[in-house]
Amino acid sequence: MNAPTAPASAQGMAGRPAWWPRGGGPRLAALAYLAVMLFVPLGVILQDGLRAGLGGLWGAVSTPVAAHALRLTFWTAGVMAAINAVLGTLTAYVLVRYSFPGKGLLNAIVDLPLAIPTLVTGVMLVVLYGPQAALGAWLQDALGWRIIFAPPGIILALLFVTFPFVVRAVQPVLASLDREQDEAAETLGAGAWTIFRRITFPALLLPVTSGTLLSFARAIGEFGAIVIVAGNIPLKSQTAAVYVLGQVESENRLGASAVSIVMLSVAYALVLVVDWLQHRRTAWVRE
Amino acid sequence: MSIVLEQLTKRYDGQPVVNRVSLEIPEGEFFVLIGPSGSGKSTVLRMIAGLNVVDQGRVLLHGRDVTNAPPQQRGVGFVFQHYALFRHMSVADNIEFGLRVRRVAPAARRRRRDELLELVGLAGLGRRMPGQLSGGQQQRVALARALAHQPEVLLLDEPFGALDAKIRVDLRRALRDIQSRLGITTIFVTHDQDEAFELADRLGVMNFGRLLEVGPPAELYQRPQTEFVATFLGTGSLLAGQCAGGEVRVGLLRFPLTTQVPPGVAAGPAPVHVLFRPEDVVLGANVAALDAAPFSSGKVESISFSGSFERVRVRLPAMPAVRAIAPPVSYGDDSFQVDALRTLEQARQAPLADGDSVWVAVRRIHALAYPGLSFLIMVDGSPLGQAALSVGGQMARLAHARVTLLGFGQPPAAMAQIVQAAREALGSGLAALETRSTPDSLVMAAAGECERNSFDVIVAGCAPATSPALVERLLESGPKNLLLVPQTLPIPVSALVSITDSEHGKQDVLVAGPLLHAMGAEATLLCVVPEAGRDSQPRTRIEQFLTDGARTLEAMGVTARTVVGTGPVVEAVRRQLDAGGHDMLVLGAPLADRSGRVAMSSRMRQVLEAAPRHPILIVRSRYAADVGPQRTFDGRIVIIEEVTP
Repeated sequence: MNAPTAPASAQGMAGRPAWWPRGGGPRLAALAYLAVMLFVPLGVILQDGLRAGLGGLWGAVSTPVAAHALRLTFWTAGVMAAINAVLGTLTAYVLVRYSFPGKGLLNAIVDLPLAIPTLVTGVMLVVLYGPQAALGAWLQDALGWRIIFAPPGIILALLFVTFPFVVRAVQPVLASLDREQDEAAETLGAGAWTIFRRITFPALLLPVTSGTLLSFARAIGEFGAIVIVAGNIPLKSQTAAVYVLGQVESENRLGASAVSIVMLSVAYALVLVVDWLQHRRTAWVRE
Repeated sequence: MSIVLEQLTKRYDGQPVVNRVSLEIPEGEFFVLIGPSGSGKSTVLRMIAGLNVVDQGRVLLHGRDVTNAPPQQRGVGFVFQHYALFRHMSVADNIEFGLRVRRVAPAARRRRRDELLELVGLAGLGRRMPGQLSGGQQQRVALARALAHQPEVLLLDEPFGALDAKIRVDLRRALRDIQSRLGITTIFVTHDQDEAFELADRLGVMNFGRLLEVGPPAELYQRPQTEFVATFLGTGSLLAGQCAGGEVRVGLLRFPLTTQVPPGVAAGPAPVHVLFRPEDVVLGANVAALDAAPFSSGKVESISFSGSFERVRVRLPAMPAVRAIAPPVSYGDDSFQVDALRTLEQARQAPLADGDSVWVAVRRIHALAYPGLSFLIMVDGSPLGQAALSVGGQMARLAHARVTLLGFGQPPAAMAQIVQAAREALGSGLAALETRSTPDSLVMAAAGECERNSFDVIVAGCAPATSPALVERLLESGPKNLLLVPQTLPIPVSALVSITDSEHGKQDVLVAGPLLHAMGAEATLLCVVPEAGRDSQPRTRIEQFLTDGARTLEAMGVTARTVVGTGPVVEAVRRQLDAGGHDMLVLGAPLADRSGRVAMSSRMRQVLEAAPRHPILIVRSRYAADVGPQRTFDGRIVIIEEVTP
């Protein structure tokens, strides 16, 4: 359509000025929303934590209580992520490759942890493993395992809360895998385990990694379940998120902001890595 | 024997997709399995490889029964249509996979890999990833990978289906070359007949799960034994004719039989189908210009150029007592078409243009034994069963049909007596008579028997007006024409064919025509205009529709009249049955839904009730089968890229 009606082409189609970009309205709205909801709070906390300079930030983070809280947070999240990587992949594999009665129900339950309040998760675990509960008492008396108010409780709570991440990352990729590759491997003499190890798993490596990293990032900030399960015992079972609450309550804003910045940076770095992995995967599939 | 299949059967949802396939393939043979999509050819291949479970029958590889062995233990190489290369492995790792699994030493592995890359013409590309190769190159890698562990048998499932024409031709040559160099027994599945003809030592043609014919390509092309093979491989004209004493008659014309007398054809006159290929057809401006037996004259309909040949399509007018089987008569037409293939030299000497009149002669004819219609008559000793036996038997005798008598629903001792009595009642005059019995119910017995053999008509004693559900179950049991007999009657001579003015209706006429011809009945085509309104347009259109139908029936050798009914369909049918003195009603079968269930509309039930004492023939056209359920096998996504040759 190149009918040269001069006024129309100068004005643009909707009669907006020439300098106004196409789709400018929605773009502006989205950016403004993002700024108000994300950039401003992030900026404020960065500014607050760096008020006393990098030295001040380091000082606030390296107090014995804060350092212990951060260490506890990262190692429990790490153990959780490792377990989740294996069992999440297994769950996804079973959900995609096998059919059994109740499969639909199980599939729906996977998302449940996203929907229930994490406080409730904490309460459930205390009811199950607490010293007053039969199972908790037995574990403690017979095996000497302390679950509640101890790191195992934290790991259990994190596992529950982040259960969907690996499953849901792996499931669609696994479902879209070409079964003919498995069949080809079978005719070439490969057994089921070899096929999984050499054919299926390499294709799942990226989704497993990104799901695991996401669950780790999610776990760093978990508060509700942990405050119930682990309590708030400094140098023992206090995680970073719970520590931040304590600092806010005792009006130590620098302590709260500094630890928050560390958690935030780690989480954001992980999200960036996941994004990069997703990008690599799409590029690889396209090729 | 390298590969032996015994009565191999595979069912999905109870329907056989591979039906008693038996085959023996000697060492080193290149065997091609060809058939339309859904004919079960790939399933056969997958059962040999162990990728599909065998429901019945046996698979033997080099004398070893592997029916229940997992794929890993069969020692076959398999090539898939979409390559199925391991995407995250290099070409070299792909090829070495089978060797690595077998723990072959790295040095030997590398040697073998280089050998294979050389063999398939990809030397030096071992480091590439599959994604960096073209489709043709990827399939070469897949072939090398399938050969790496030195399998005893090579299976290829439409390996070139996803490639373009030029590459297909190159790969075909390369494959044939490699196969003969290695001497490996090979089965190649395809729907492409050029591919099949070029590659095959022997060819097997499949349709609807059955292996119809096996033989060298030239043999199957020139001397097919079945109608399907005659029309599926290559093009050509198939006409109904008579064979008597070394001579074939088509209508009033006579041809010396140039190939052998079809097996099973007696010395006396016997119905045959006459096949001639486009390259056997000679065209000339007049009879004198022909150097072969003149057939008829017609008009040039179209001329198309195909490289070194010119294909001339000639339309011939209707000839007395000449019926076309293929290409099938189209609705509303009584002429038929003949294709002729001419060299460019011939075309230059006698140029033709669209619309020219030409004489057509035929240089060579092949006669196929026409086995006649095949009836399945269901008997159980009851009065209804006797009615089916009496009416079905008389019709079968008239049609010189093959009959299978199936006793059902009685304990074995009583059954033997009933079947014996029925056999005596049928007497002689049939092309063939077989008897069988089963204690199953009517529907189960019919379904089971239809799986074993294909029938044109199933005759069952049944009062459709009182048991519509039974009719529905019978219709579900297979894509067969159904003759329902409510009582013992004289043989029908005048059929009322009730159709709708739709594609469905056209198909019903095309299917009913040959049956009515064989039974020697005449037909009245009835179509109903809903209301006797003022608007004359629908009526004129329907009259034209019926006239077309009658012309088609006449071309099939059935005397036909037309009637336009008005008002409610049921009333119109009842009125016409009474007024016209018809003694049979013909209806089109209702369509099955996607799950294969058949439910009759309330209108169809009413029509059945309108004829409580008449035999009712329910015809099942291909149309009904095509819009019926589409099955995908074990939930796999089936990529349909097949083109009908």
